[in-house]
Amino acid sequence: MDRTMGDSSRTEAGKAVAIWGAGAAAFAKSAAVARITLRQMMFYKTDFLLRCAFLLMILYVFSQLWSAAYGGGETGSVAGFTLKQLLWYLVFTEALTLAAPPICSRIEQEVKNGDVAMRLVRPISYVLYHYASFLAEAALRFAIHLLAGSLVVWPIVGAPNFGYGWAALLSLSLGALTVTFLMAAAIGLCAFWIEETRGLEFVLQKLQFTLGGMLLPIDLMPDWLQRICAWLPFRAAMYLPARAAVHSGGDHLLRDLGVQAVWLAVLGAIVAVIFRRGAVKLHVNGG
Amino acid sequence: MEALRARGLTKAFRVKRKDQGLGGSLRSWLRPEWEEKIAVANIDLDVGRGETVAFLGPNGAGKSTTIKMLTGILHPSSGEATVVGFTPWRERAKLAYRIGTVFGQKSQLWYHLPPLDTFELIGRIYEMKRDDYAKRREDLIERFELGPYLRTPVRKLSLGERMRCEIAASLLHRPELLFLDEPTIGLDVVVKQRIRELIRERNRSEETTVFLTSHDAGDVEELCSRVLVIHHGGLLLDEPVERIKRDVLSRKTITITLAAEVSPEELPCVQGTENVAVAGRQVRLEVDLRRAGVEEVLSGFIGRFGIEDLTVEDPPMEEIIKHIYGER
Repeated sequence: MDRTMGDSSRTEAGKAVAIWGAGAAAFAKSAAVARITLRQMMFYKTDFLLRCAFLLMILYVFSQLWSAAYGGGETGSVAGFTLKQLLWYLVFTEALTLAAPPICSRIEQEVKNGDVAMRLVRPISYVLYHYASFLAEAALRFAIHLLAGSLVVWPIVGAPNFGYGWAALLSLSLGALTVTFLMAAAIGLCAFWIEETRGLEFVLQKLQFTLGGMLLPIDLMPDWLQRICAWLPFRAAMYLPARAAVHSGGDHLLRDLGVQAVWLAVLGAIVAVIFRRGAVKLHVNGG
Repeated sequence: MEALRARGLTKAFRVKRKDQGLGGSLRSWLRPEWEEKIAVANIDLDVGRGETVAFLGPNGAGKSTTIKMLTGILHPSSGEATVVGFTPWRERAKLAYRIGTVFGQKSQLWYHLPPLDTFELIGRIYEMKRDDYAKRREDLIERFELGPYLRTPVRKLSLGERMRCEIAASLLHRPELLFLDEPTIGLDVVVKQRIRELIRERNRSEETTVFLTSHDAGDVEELCSRVLVIHHGGLLLDEPVERIKRDVLSRKTITITLAAEVSPEELPCVQGTENVAVAGRQVRLEVDLRRAGVEEVLSGFIGRFGIEDLTVEDPPMEEIIKHIYGER
């Protein structure tokens, strides 16, 4: 009896060690993918510059618009947002939006030109590979976009002295980018069945821009729309980190992290199912 | 011990049928018509450990699809396969550690970075121990003479240099079985030769099983001991390279260097010889061994002309394959 128990606890321990080992190995592999992605990114300086230029232009236009809407007053508040909070909110949402690499088109391209075969013969999950590469690229871009965005907004409304808001921004941005990745990956993986995913990608992007609160904090939307947004994943990808950043209290942080966790679980499961089914359907072009 | 075994491997997929023109596109959009295409039909394969097998066939015969099923990239429509003990499409990740792949028309190297960066990534992805990785990498760099290119971005490498790096990258994790899909495509003769030597050496020193597809007869003749020919998705032939050369195409090319120049009219007329060409003192002719023996051909020359040199060669593999298709 004792022996059986001893065996079973040993097997349990063995399983735990195996799971821990697999997790550590997956992490080490992802880190290696992230490192090489960053190195390769250094060759795309023009892309960085163009994105930054676009960001500067958008933010300049919005800061002029919102300054006019607030009547130039820096003390007034609309739906809980002062002009300063609103403009910095826009810096954060824009920085996040423009940080995300076009993962959907990349997957589609890989399926179309057959490069997907090169990825599938490696002992690293196809989705994990793309996630590691996505996150490395997005993190670097996000940091650069924050700096670029500051150039426009800082002189207009002052320093981003949000205190704990920064901690909230950083802790929620990881989840936000992951939600963005999972949504785009779910669409991109549809390329395993259908030839074109551009239409779906277009719709996804526009939904993210509007219902995600990129151009306008969700608090400023009509009540009925706010209620719809509350049930959609888009807000977890942009609104939550940007709002938490400018409302420094940090009182909703746990709740926001919880919301993201739920969406990560749901979207993660969807991506896993799509990938598993898609892998069976896949037909690699060329040869 | 078997490295690879497949039974009844079949892959069918649906293709949308599209008529010509805008109207055709519109019709196929409104009422899509699908047709089933069989890429690979009921193939049986057996490859022993350490064997070098050529897998040949014309474009569209199903070679790449078969390789993609055997590496776990594609799921077959039916049939089964075991590759180094794993079912590829069910145990793709486990299999990945044990096999290597080179797709001649695709690159696994990071375009803007030196090959060393890709090697490092591969070392990590295959969970190689650091000291083992370093040792193995140095060994391959030396054997493949990659030293001068290690720090050059891949985009600046010539095709031959890149291909050597590609193959070295595929060998880093010591695969037991190497799938090579057109490894010498687009390379010049000298580079092709070098790549063949390197693969052959790996096969000898590490008993790496090689499963190769190629359009190049030289790859097959110099690297492989057995040939599998596939056509229209089905296996057409499975024979040792030597036997194919002997049985399927019983032709030899004889080149004779004579002591003095000779005109074509002076040459003996032997039944079964064809394509006789005379250039100065050199006479080149093809002989069909089913109609005449080499001895018979030579006896026409001996005694009548002084012979300085003589070679009897096998025909090139392209001819052999062409012949196989013609015969079956």
